[in-house]
Amino acid sequence: MALLEIKGLSTHFSLPRGILKAVERVDLTVERGETLALVGESGSGKSITAASIMRLVPPPGRIVSGSILFEGVDLLQLSEDKMREIRGNRIAMIFQDPMTSLNPVFTIGEQVAEGLRIHRGLNRAQAEEAAAEILAQVGIPAPRERLKDYPHQMSGGQRQRVMIAMALALRPELVIADEPTTALDVTIQAQILELLDRLKEETRMGLILITHNLGIVAERAHRTAIMYAGSIMESAPTEELFANPLHPYTKGLLASLPENAKPGQELATISGNVPVLYGGTAGCPFRDRCPIGDAGCAATYPEMHDAGGGHLVRCLKAHD
Amino acid sequence: MTDLLRAEGVEKQFAARGGGMFAPHQRLMAVAGVDLELNPGETLGIAGESGCGKSTVARLLTGLIPLSGGRVTYQGRDLAALSRAEMALFRREVQMIFQDPFSSLNPRMRVSEILAEPMVIHGIGTEAQRRDRVDFLMNRVGLLPEQLSRFPHEFSGGQRQRIGIARALAVSPKLIIADEPVSALDLSIQAQIINLLQEVKRELGLGFLFITHDLSVLRHVSDRIAIMYLGRIVESGSAEEVLEHPRHPYTEALLAAIPSVDPKKRRKHAAPKGEIPSPLAPPSGCPFHPRCPYAEERCRVERPDLVEKDRPGHRAACHFSEKLPR
Ligand SMILES: Nc1ncnc2c1ncn2[C@@H]1O[C@H](COP(=O)(O)OP(=O)(O)OP(=O)(O)O)[C@@H](O)[C@H]1O
Ligand SMILES: Nc1ncnc2c1ncn2[C@@H]1O[C@H](COP(=O)(O)OP(=O)(O)O)[C@@H](O)[C@H]1O
Ligand code: SF4
Ligand code: SF4
Ligand SMILES: [Mg+2]
Ligand SMILES: [Mg+2]
Repeated sequence: MALLEIKGLSTHFSLPRGILKAVERVDLTVERGETLALVGESGSGKSITAASIMRLVPPPGRIVSGSILFEGVDLLQLSEDKMREIRGNRIAMIFQDPMTSLNPVFTIGEQVAEGLRIHRGLNRAQAEEAAAEILAQVGIPAPRERLKDYPHQMSGGQRQRVMIAMALALRPELVIADEPTTALDVTIQAQILELLDRLKEETRMGLILITHNLGIVAERAHRTAIMYAGSIMESAPTEELFANPLHPYTKGLLASLPENAKPGQELATISGNVPVLYGGTAGCPFRDRCPIGDAGCAATYPEMHDAGGGHLVRCLKAHD
Repeated sequence: MTDLLRAEGVEKQFAARGGGMFAPHQRLMAVAGVDLELNPGETLGIAGESGCGKSTVARLLTGLIPLSGGRVTYQGRDLAALSRAEMALFRREVQMIFQDPFSSLNPRMRVSEILAEPMVIHGIGTEAQRRDRVDFLMNRVGLLPEQLSRFPHEFSGGQRQRIGIARALAVSPKLIIADEPVSALDLSIQAQIINLLQEVKRELGLGFLFITHDLSVLRHVSDRIAIMYLGRIVESGSAEEVLEHPRHPYTEALLAAIPSVDPKKRRKHAAPKGEIPSPLAPPSGCPFHPRCPYAEERCRVERPDLVEKDRPGHRAACHFSEKLPR
């Protein structure tokens, strides 16, 4: 049984302008000890997918269909009480901006210890002891002293480490990291990603890594899913995806990287703009920007096609 | 050939509050003795970690903030000595493009007004001529004539950056200073904007100062590169020299840390250790010594000067450059 299996997940927002299909018919699987990268441009639905797994979709958003099996149990069928036991405890989240989940008026120690007291029933002294240990594990120097610090007294990289410490304190089975290093510099980013990899090896947790940095994906993820306008367009074992991209959008993204061009040479581009997600489901979400799309693509929403070897692609023309 | 823009020993100190509310004001050396020159038609790329002083250098070079030390010359003339009319010409010929085009575009102005405004300020053309020029600029940056009457919030990030570029081009600049112009853009839009910047640079023979923390973008656009650390340039030279044969351990660490999609390029170095030190308390000697794998005793006491290493024009501020593989 997979650790997490999402089937046919759709999350929509009813807005005055119409129904916004933030997440549409998403299927994803995460195994224990596996890193799944979820890649896409801003607004493609990555964070709302994560919020759906946590059942924290902000109103007027609503999960309208699908199932989210966590160790075989459908999270969407659980009572709110049961869900609260899972959230933060067995499934944890790490956000891009640590200040959104660190409370500025409590010390680092109080915040890291809180979950341990609530979910593990440790007393204050025990929880503080455990918190110091966890801070040491994530590479905070002099952790015992830092327990008394407030978030603003730490650097961006240190705050990110504290957030990882909080997320991992309860040894969750699944961690969702939403752009965990986007705000950090490359050298600190590399440190944080290495830390996550190491902790994942130690605990065999599953990791969903949300990012738009394809280099990070190539280096860290076992499997990669490419999201566009709410839908997964392609997913495959990472090496296979980079060596043999099948979807026109994935091909376009890889071709446009400055890294893949000679210095100064004109870069390949994907024409057009990132789409707005209103409107009917008819047709392929990528059709307005696709170099090989035709009339058929405007009429039919492509089903996911299995190209073999775990390589899935949502394109009418990738079937042959 | 005289350079277009030159900085000599440029410094900037800010007053900063250190520690708690009642701590005395401390001086923060944001830029500490920077020399650089920019030639016509050339792109100089500046990279470095957050807070190392890149944007402050940009603001000093454009005269947006006063210098604390050193001097900036434009076409050989000290900015401090320019007359009012010469300063106006400088402000016209040196234009800036910012990371977040939204905060730099007036939300209450239509695109047509945004693009005409710099020409009005600099007293260029008749109204009809300005209208023609606006039409030309819209077309040049890939926007449609019917978008002229729209407001900035009606555009996507990439389109707003196109507006920012058009506005910079409106007054026929000689030099453009672009501070992280593509960092806030989506992947599929970054390439469009990089191409556009490269095209106008070639067409108009512009000098470019391109600030970015993304080394793969830097490699793509730059003729020469300067790497900054804690307010100083620690390495500079031709793009190829600096990126292929770094002579400073910090440049080497940065290069090792970039994640690459190419399995062959991937370097399996450990991530560079340590945090970026606070600019309020910069380390003694070589500012990189607490994080440097090559550091020796001398590095703790003596700050290395930026000097030429084994190739002409390739400079690094390191006592032990020869330890780096060539
Ligand atoms: N107005 C100011 N007052 C006080 N300190 C400032 C001011 N502007 C910048 N600084 C400080 O000067 C240093 C350099 O800042 P600068 O904005 O030039 O960095 P940067 O290299 O552009 O960073 P980033 O990559 O994050 O844009 C930083 O330590 C910053 O906090
Ligand atoms: N609270 C909200 N109200 C209305 N629309 C929202 C809300 N949150 C997200 N959306 C919309 O849902 C879509 C997906 O958003 P998101 O998952 O945050 O994208 P990503 O994380 O991939 O950048 C976007 O079109 C976004 O504007
Ligand atoms: S279905 Fe058609 S429009 Fe969509 S990606 Fe495939 S070819 Fe392009
Ligand atoms: S001078 Fe010393 S500490 Fe500084 S970069 Fe060179 S070897 Fe490292
Ligand atoms: Mg998001
Ligand atoms: Mg800056």
